Amino acid sequence: MNHKASPLNRKFWTPGVFVMLVFMIAGFVSIIARFTGGIGYVSNLSTARPWGLWVGVDVATGVALAAGGFTTAALAHIFGCHSYEPIIRPALLTAMLGYTFVVLGLMVDIGRSWAIWKPIFFWNTNSVLFEVAMCVMIYLHVLYFEFIPIVAEQFKNKVRLPGPLALLNAPIDLFLKIADAVAGKIMWILIILGVVLSCMHQSSLGSLMLVAPTKIHPLWYTPILPLLFLTSAFAVGYPMVVFETTLVTSSFKLNSEMSILTPLTRITTFVLGLYMLLKLGDMFIRGTYVYLLDGTYQTNSFIIEMMFGIIVPWLMLVSKKVRQSRKGVFIAATMIVFGVALNRINVFIVGYTSPVSESGYFPSVGEIFVTLGLIATLMFVYRFVVTFLPVLQAPKEVSS
Amino acid sequence: MIKKIIFYSGFMILVAALSMAQVWKAPDQEKAKERAKERVKFIKDYKDEDNILRKIALIEKGISLDDVKNNYFLLDSPIIKEREDHYGPVRFAHKRHAALINDCTECHHYRPKDESMLETTRCSACHQDSFNADHPERIGLKAAFHQQCTECHQEEQNGPVTCTGCHLKNVPDHKDLVKLADNSDAFQVTAECLRCHDQAGEDMLKTAHWNWRGPSPYTVKHRKDVQHGKGTTALNNY
Amino acid sequence: MQLTRRNFFKFMGATGASVAVLPSSAQAWQSKAPPDPYGCLVDLTRCNGCRKCEDACSTVNELPPPIKDVCDCTVFEKKRRPDENAFTVVNRYFSGKLDELDKPLPVFVKIQCMHCQDPACVSACIVGALTKKENGAVHYDVSKCIGCRYCMVACPFEIPAYEYHDPITPRVRKCTFCFDRISKDGGLPGCATICPVEAITFGKRNTLLELAKKRIKDNPGKYVDHVYGEKEVGGTSWLYVSSLPFSKLNFPQLPEKPSPKLSETIQHSLFSYLWSPILLFGLLGGIMYKSKKKNDNPQDKGGA
Repeated sequence: MNHKASPLNRKFWTPGVFVMLVFMIAGFVSIIARFTGGIGYVSNLSTARPWGLWVGVDVATGVALAAGGFTTAALAHIFGCHSYEPIIRPALLTAMLGYTFVVLGLMVDIGRSWAIWKPIFFWNTNSVLFEVAMCVMIYLHVLYFEFIPIVAEQFKNKVRLPGPLALLNAPIDLFLKIADAVAGKIMWILIILGVVLSCMHQSSLGSLMLVAPTKIHPLWYTPILPLLFLTSAFAVGYPMVVFETTLVTSSFKLNSEMSILTPLTRITTFVLGLYMLLKLGDMFIRGTYVYLLDGTYQTNSFIIEMMFGIIVPWLMLVSKKVRQSRKGVFIAATMIVFGVALNRINVFIVGYTSPVSESGYFPSVGEIFVTLGLIATLMFVYRFVVTFLPVLQAPKEVSS
Repeated sequence: MIKKIIFYSGFMILVAALSMAQVWKAPDQEKAKERAKERVKFIKDYKDEDNILRKIALIEKGISLDDVKNNYFLLDSPIIKEREDHYGPVRFAHKRHAALINDCTECHHYRPKDESMLETTRCSACHQDSFNADHPERIGLKAAFHQQCTECHQEEQNGPVTCTGCHLKNVPDHKDLVKLADNSDAFQVTAECLRCHDQAGEDMLKTAHWNWRGPSPYTVKHRKDVQHGKGTTALNNY
Repeated sequence: MQLTRRNFFKFMGATGASVAVLPSSAQAWQSKAPPDPYGCLVDLTRCNGCRKCEDACSTVNELPPPIKDVCDCTVFEKKRRPDENAFTVVNRYFSGKLDELDKPLPVFVKIQCMHCQDPACVSACIVGALTKKENGAVHYDVSKCIGCRYCMVACPFEIPAYEYHDPITPRVRKCTFCFDRISKDGGLPGCATICPVEAITFGKRNTLLELAKKRIKDNPGKYVDHVYGEKEVGGTSWLYVSSLPFSKLNFPQLPEKPSPKLSETIQHSLFSYLWSPILLFGLLGGIMYKSKKKNDNPQDKGGA
């Protein structure tokens, strides 16, 4: 086994990081505005349109794209395909940060952010959202736990805080050791629990909209929406890993990991194919294809989702030639990521029609800034963590 | 001394006269007030007959305009006021309406089932409190009045159809509301009015009454003014 | 990974137990509607658009007074919706018929929360801040609310409004059915009490339903043969009868199936007693155990 993760040890302040900073500041200003003037002050949300960009992108899409974490964990640890281990740590980090920012996005979106703890005590087991919230909450902690060994690996016996904080060195070190030992002992529970919780809330995220049958366009409103969400989460897991691994390895000039990514995409062809079959079958069984030529922005969005997010990348990945080309795999993976992201946006925003008022919704500048700011912060933290913690594969040689 | 006596005796006569004098009250109004306060027993069952049969029944019994005993009603029932009390009572000229319509069944649309009772009963015998659970189809007195009056006024295009067309507004007693010092000047009085009625003040500024400007050759001291008006040179502007 | 044989069998045992429970848990969805709730019957043929109900509502619920214009007619120029400052509004529509003076005949429509029998908002609410009371009211408890606005997403009538401009403590705002008032004996909702023509009849929903049908039967020419709210989304506490088809009055056309039925059926058949997660856990545990045994060369455990 030649995989050994290590910190990047590169210069942190690159021009790209400064660009992220600009977005972060814009997002920060918008968040300040939201917490002084209210949600209505920065967003275009209304009675007719209670959920917009923040739920559709920050939460729903965020959760979907963080699926790389549990899918790779399942592959490597549960199904025992240990050759995939080099991509586990980056995928885990993405998932952990992804879910952290899902929660941060929620904090901005819900009106009473300070009351976010209340579902722990006030249960409504009929509520799909309650189940999603519980799963996300527990899963987030599972992810943090799973991450402890990575922190411990770097800092165990090496905690050197500067100045007066040095007093804390020993306690922190002890804490790390204990946490690492505990995490190691229960890691197998955490890993299975992570997969179970993910399956639960990834599918339930689809059930969320089932409570509003009259509001969601029939192209998306189907009783198997939870199944579609689950399979699409499976389908997007590996492409997301491919997408970010390719981005990271090419921008940091690391090994391209193609030896791992090619077999990964082979798995994806099956899962994506299943997702495609379910979606097409659902469309034909319920006869919703009659809407396809309506020409409204909703049906057009559905066509784009199906064509460029599912069918075209699937056809690409079926070809062995594409699977072995770094560019081909990257393009197909990007399209799948785009397709699933668009699916979430379609279900939560585009496909949503209010029953009485005309609610032409387009996110406001403030909403967009908050979302971009959160994404930029996520990337910033990712950059920070991979620079200082052993997440990415140590380069054998500099290759592009 | 004599002056004093005359003054005191005059004063005493005045006091006596004041204490003896009674404010004149209209007898029919008093009677109507008394009647409006009455509550009668609720009539549960009515005779279900259609309008034509009812008309025939009245003709057969020889009931006509001459039988109208009460010319004038004050509609001010405690049944309504118990729930809501936003408007003053309505003055209802019974005989006048009867004469105009010349069809008793227009309002007296049903009669009590009990044959011993009067052919035409008052509204509040059948229509009392709203939403009587035992008689869900029976509307309350307030709704009975409003449905009957407005519908007919609208159809006939005769008679008031707005709230204040029939009602006086229930103006609260301003004795305790107005807070003014004993020797308030005109400005203080206006300010006190505007304290609550600021919209009225705003509206006033848009009226011709306020905005009119012009010569006023017959107004003492302003004969030569060419721009006289409330907003400019009149005394009591604010 | 510390997956021992003993731990594994413990979990498999739990899985088996949970599967045994399964058949009893997978029962059909049942309506949770109260059997004999109060309701209101709104007779649109009676409403004359005086908007006194709006006045009464804002007084009872301590809301800002409803908009007043010089003339009520300008208020009706725009179709309004209930919002955070007005739990009920009256809109004007035209029937297309003319009166004796060739003026178009208006139909006035009062809008407020319908107080569904199986409310989507109650099913959706993450913390159970919204509840359907025995007396029919869909009641909102602000002390539990976290402001997720899922109730607003779920509502098929687009009723709950939100205090979007309150940064810290915004509330969901909607008609309360005057819950405190009707909980008292003989208590009535503010709008029903003030209505001068009894366009709003308050009473037990079952009684009102009969009354509505009787009115339609007695005046077939006056009413369309449809009690709105009898069957819409499984029935609502508020009912409407009208002289015009409801689709012309901006009432949403809704299925008879209660909105929460599908999502609750899925949730409960999948997750009651957490049988499926436990089963999945056991299954994955089994696979993990097996695959670990297969390539039993020691791996570094910090990999995950």
